[in-house]
Amino acid sequence: MLHAVRAAARLTRAGRWVMLRVLINQIRFTALQAIFLVAFLAAILAFLVISQSIRQLGRFGAIDNLGTIMVVAVIRELGPLLTALIVVSRSGTAIAAEMATNRVMGEVTALEAMGIDPYIYLVLPRMLGAIVSVATLMVVFDAVALTSGFVAAATSGMSLNRYTSIVLKTLSAGDVWLTLAKGIFFGAAVALFCSYHGLAVKAGPTEIPQAVTRGVVATIVAIFIMSALFVVIAS
Amino acid sequence: MTASRGSVFLSQEMAKVAGAPPLAYRDVALLGRPDRLFNLTLQAGEVVAAIGEENSGIEALGPLALGLTAPASGTVEVFGLPIGELSYYDLLVFRRRLGYLPQGDGLLQNLSLRDNVALPVRFATDHKLREVDAKVGQLIEDFRLRAIAGLRPAQANEEDRRRAAAARAVALNPKLVVLELPFVGLTSRAAMDLLERVSRSEDGGRRTVLLTSRDLTPSVRGLVSRAVRVVDGVASEDAK
Repeated sequence: MLHAVRAAARLTRAGRWVMLRVLINQIRFTALQAIFLVAFLAAILAFLVISQSIRQLGRFGAIDNLGTIMVVAVIRELGPLLTALIVVSRSGTAIAAEMATNRVMGEVTALEAMGIDPYIYLVLPRMLGAIVSVATLMVVFDAVALTSGFVAAATSGMSLNRYTSIVLKTLSAGDVWLTLAKGIFFGAAVALFCSYHGLAVKAGPTEIPQAVTRGVVATIVAIFIMSALFVVIAS
Repeated sequence: MTASRGSVFLSQEMAKVAGAPPLAYRDVALLGRPDRLFNLTLQAGEVVAAIGEENSGIEALGPLALGLTAPASGTVEVFGLPIGELSYYDLLVFRRRLGYLPQGDGLLQNLSLRDNVALPVRFATDHKLREVDAKVGQLIEDFRLRAIAGLRPAQANEEDRRRAAAARAVALNPKLVVLELPFVGLTSRAAMDLLERVSRSEDGGRRTVLLTSRDLTPSVRGLVSRAVRVVDGVASEDAK
């Protein structure tokens, strides 16, 4: 991969333009077309979690802990996980299937025969696109979740000032950096695992669905392991 | 071409072997059998046809010439360089001197025919975008692709796809072109037209061409300098 990054830095002007076009397409498909799904799920999840939490915490007079639930459960853990899972299911499958098709149709060999590194042309733009997309979608998820959380709190009679002060008491700058770091690692995992399993296809078209499954499963496992590691590192 | 460690290495190596034959297979076991060795040398400007049945060994000639596979025994020299000994990135740079039309065309399905033709020019030259467009436009004209240049490969017929793949193969004006089963599904006239265009270089000279085929029609044979028949991985001169 390091070779591919070095070689990408030596690309010609027109080559960079081609790569940029692939990158923009990737971001359009991975981020832009998934925004509404991510926003919808973030809104539902935050609404449910906050509604239930207010009810339960209110019984014990521990409503101030709402911020901890919102930030720790939704923003730090569930948000990045759910966003990454959405990207895996939409774009990870597409990346794995596309790579496998490229391999089966002889397109990867054709690229190598033209002197074009398939890792630069196929994998690198998808990896950069997935990183940018996952990080951006996580920010969208957080913003919508915070807003939806307020709506849930407001239906229980909580004012905006109270909700804001409760959430901000737990939310820190570290959460922003953590979101960014998770976006980078989760995004890279989606592109790399799915590309790897797609390009590993040898036999023929019948292997494509299996490659997609292997890529998605490997990515999901990797994301959960990384999520656990983030908790260990951050604690 | 962009300056790179690979290209510097290759220019030094290329200088050492100036005047070497464009392509030479020496004692290569095409089928992995040490008792069946393949020898063939192409001289500059020759159009050589390697004719053989399925599993005769002709399927291996293209990948070996491009360094996509390494010979089980013997050497394959391209412009005097033992191509199997180059590193991956040196090979990538070196291949930009060669044209290759793989079996089944190898066009990228998510690109239009025009973008397929443009791909090597965009990646392997320092041309400005306008110059790339002009060069690609010329190739589109030369290979009569203008009316269908915006189509994806799946939307074009077999002959158009083959012409687009051939245009892509010669996009960097290579001195050596390898064509794998280029005439399958083409009429004799279309096959002649394709071979004529591929074997003519930009300056009007002749390119060295190695093509593989199951058989050749008499009209196409007229354009071939030499034909060899490959049986069980061994070549013998074929009477024209």
